[in-house]
Amino acid sequence: MMPETTDVETINRRRMNLALGIVVLIASIPILVTYFILMASSFTNQMITGSMVGQLTFTLRNWILFFEGKLTVASAAVYSMWDILRYILNTFIVAFGVMLVTTALATMAGYACSRMKFRGRKFLIQLLILLHAFPGVSLIIAVYALYIFSKGPIPSQWWTLYAFIYVIVARAALEIPMDIWIMKGFFDKVPWEVEWSALIDGASRIKVWKDIILPLVKPGIAAVAIFSFIAGWGALIYVLVFLPPTEKTLATYIAGLLAGGSLEVVHLPVVAAAGTLYLLPTLIFFSFVRRYMLQTSLSGIKG
Amino acid sequence: MVSIRLDKVTKRFGKVVAVNNVDLEIEDGKLYVLLGPSGGGKTTTLYLIAGIYKPTSGRIYFNEKDVTDLTPAERNVGLVFQNYALYPHMKVYDNIAFPLRLRKEPKSKIDSKVHEVAKFLRIENLLDRYPHQLSGGQQQRVALARALVKEPSVLLLDEPLSNLDALLRVYIRAELKRMQQDLGITSVYVTHDQSEALAIADKIVVINKGVIQQEGTPEQIYENPRNVFVATFIGNPPMNIVKGTVLEDGTIETTGSRLTPPPAVLEKIKRLKLKNILMAFRPENAVVSEHPIEGRFSPMGDLFEVEPLGRDAVVTVTVGEFVIKVVMPTREAMQLRIGSKVYVNIDPSTIKYFDPNTELNLEYIEA
Ligand SMILES: Nc1ncnc2c1ncn2[C@@H]1O[C@H](COP(=O)(O)OP(=O)(O)OP(=O)(O)O)[C@@H](O)[C@H]1O
Ligand SMILES: [Mg+2]
Repeated sequence: MMPETTDVETINRRRMNLALGIVVLIASIPILVTYFILMASSFTNQMITGSMVGQLTFTLRNWILFFEGKLTVASAAVYSMWDILRYILNTFIVAFGVMLVTTALATMAGYACSRMKFRGRKFLIQLLILLHAFPGVSLIIAVYALYIFSKGPIPSQWWTLYAFIYVIVARAALEIPMDIWIMKGFFDKVPWEVEWSALIDGASRIKVWKDIILPLVKPGIAAVAIFSFIAGWGALIYVLVFLPPTEKTLATYIAGLLAGGSLEVVHLPVVAAAGTLYLLPTLIFFSFVRRYMLQTSLSGIKG
Repeated sequence: MVSIRLDKVTKRFGKVVAVNNVDLEIEDGKLYVLLGPSGGGKTTTLYLIAGIYKPTSGRIYFNEKDVTDLTPAERNVGLVFQNYALYPHMKVYDNIAFPLRLRKEPKSKIDSKVHEVAKFLRIENLLDRYPHQLSGGQQQRVALARALVKEPSVLLLDEPLSNLDALLRVYIRAELKRMQQDLGITSVYVTHDQSEALAIADKIVVINKGVIQQEGTPEQIYENPRNVFVATFIGNPPMNIVKGTVLEDGTIETTGSRLTPPPAVLEKIKRLKLKNILMAFRPENAVVSEHPIEGRFSPMGDLFEVEPLGRDAVVTVTVGEFVIKVVMPTREAMQLRIGSKVYVNIDPSTIKYFDPNTELNLEYIEA
């Protein structure tokens, strides 16, 4: 039998992928093991540790306790089920809010930085990287001062809503500089000629943007969307500072469980259930967006 | 039915003057070829006509209408880009249909037009593919199809055949010319391939450093170049240049050989008070030999190289600072010894004379 012929490039790529895969796998073993223990523990009667594997039994009790707002088997509910559902909803609001604001602004600003000539463009682009290096915590006092100051004229029944908007915008502001930079890179790769070609074909500026440019930077948009969603989903400090104490997200809820000595009291598998739930949307969202990330090829345009 | 006129058009990019004060009239229904070396300003000129670039100064007219401030879409031009610029995320069919869809033409009409143009360019079997699944030549034809399908009033082509193999290039070139004539589309065709230019052009515009060097029919450009640049750019190999000294008696001397120029030339030499003169001749209008031939103008030089190309050979001789290439029968060329002293025997009636200061052909200088 003839061996199946393969392109040189395909062989290379396969080997490359295999090697890369192995390296990544080895590097991620500690993380994978940790996540596995976390997820598995949420379905067992005790936290999984090495010594007691034989005594574990499968149960859904932790999940039930979690949704009933109970932290231990014996105790009365600390939170109601509605609280828990609201925290989950809050988490989604903040995550999607940050994602939408970041993706929209970074895409538009990235286009401007890539395509338009304006004064101080070079400086601005360099500044983006510097801005990204600023840790969000270091800005919190100024951001808080601005919050108090801007909240003044708003009637108090709107404060909760305003707090959400403020958290979303403030958290997005931390993400935007880096994401502008990423988007600029994607726009830079789209040749001017493709845009011009569409203009000559009779497309309006808006149409060119919507039908030609955006599809070509879809992988960039997907990447930025994932990054900002994850940032919003995991936002801790900004949520703690700005949302009223009654409005938690999963991140602040779990942090609350683990803080202030309550760790000795709570039933750990319940926390594991909370942690698993906290992970889940990120995974789902990632697998949903992932296929866009590597999709578009820019060929059809010579060097 | 569109004629194009560029009126003192200049385009600057910062300090670079890409197109410099160009006056050009492109007649209705004709195929004009912009020919010039890389960086000469061909693409820039094309983009100015298309409306992609706005001139730094000067005006552009379609017929008598000033289109300088119109958008590309309003000018109804078809443009094939040097790098094709296909839409990578659309199939070939959608690429070609894109301009028609923007015009909101009915589906059935779009479909028949796309198939018609695809058939003409032999890409019917590719309609279902994405651009990255095509070869360079196929991509180029898709770009051509997209430009043609709109039935534009002006067709602009930026080196549209550069990526095709020799055979296909000649086929498409001929088809393109025929189609252009049938449809009567005013066309501007950019190339740096002079044989392509000579083959299809109604008029050739030679452009270098953003300045038009000469405009004329292929015959005019080939037979009577306006300046030294055009002379040494057109032809394969191009014209040769030798320098001569003008003597008291009006004859011209180079390395001991003498030539009496035609009276009209002599008169201009006198009027311009030229002490030196440049002479140009085509490689096929001279013969290299060991002894000067009677009746010919025969500068002496060193034989540098003989390249046999089948029946003919290219013989390279250095005469002073000038390198001269002569095309002559291989049999005769092989008799010559590399490094020996030889004579380049030029047919005097074919020589063109240029002012060494302005590098202009004396025939183009007003008497
Ligand atoms: N967008 C631009 N910015 C700055 N300089 C430019 C720009 N476009 C062209 N130029 C310059 O203008 C000059 C003419 O360029 P152009 O592209 O018109 O040349 P060309 O004749 O098409 O060359 P080629 O045969 O290599 O395509 C060149 O010196 C080029 O560097
Ligand atoms: Mg060019």
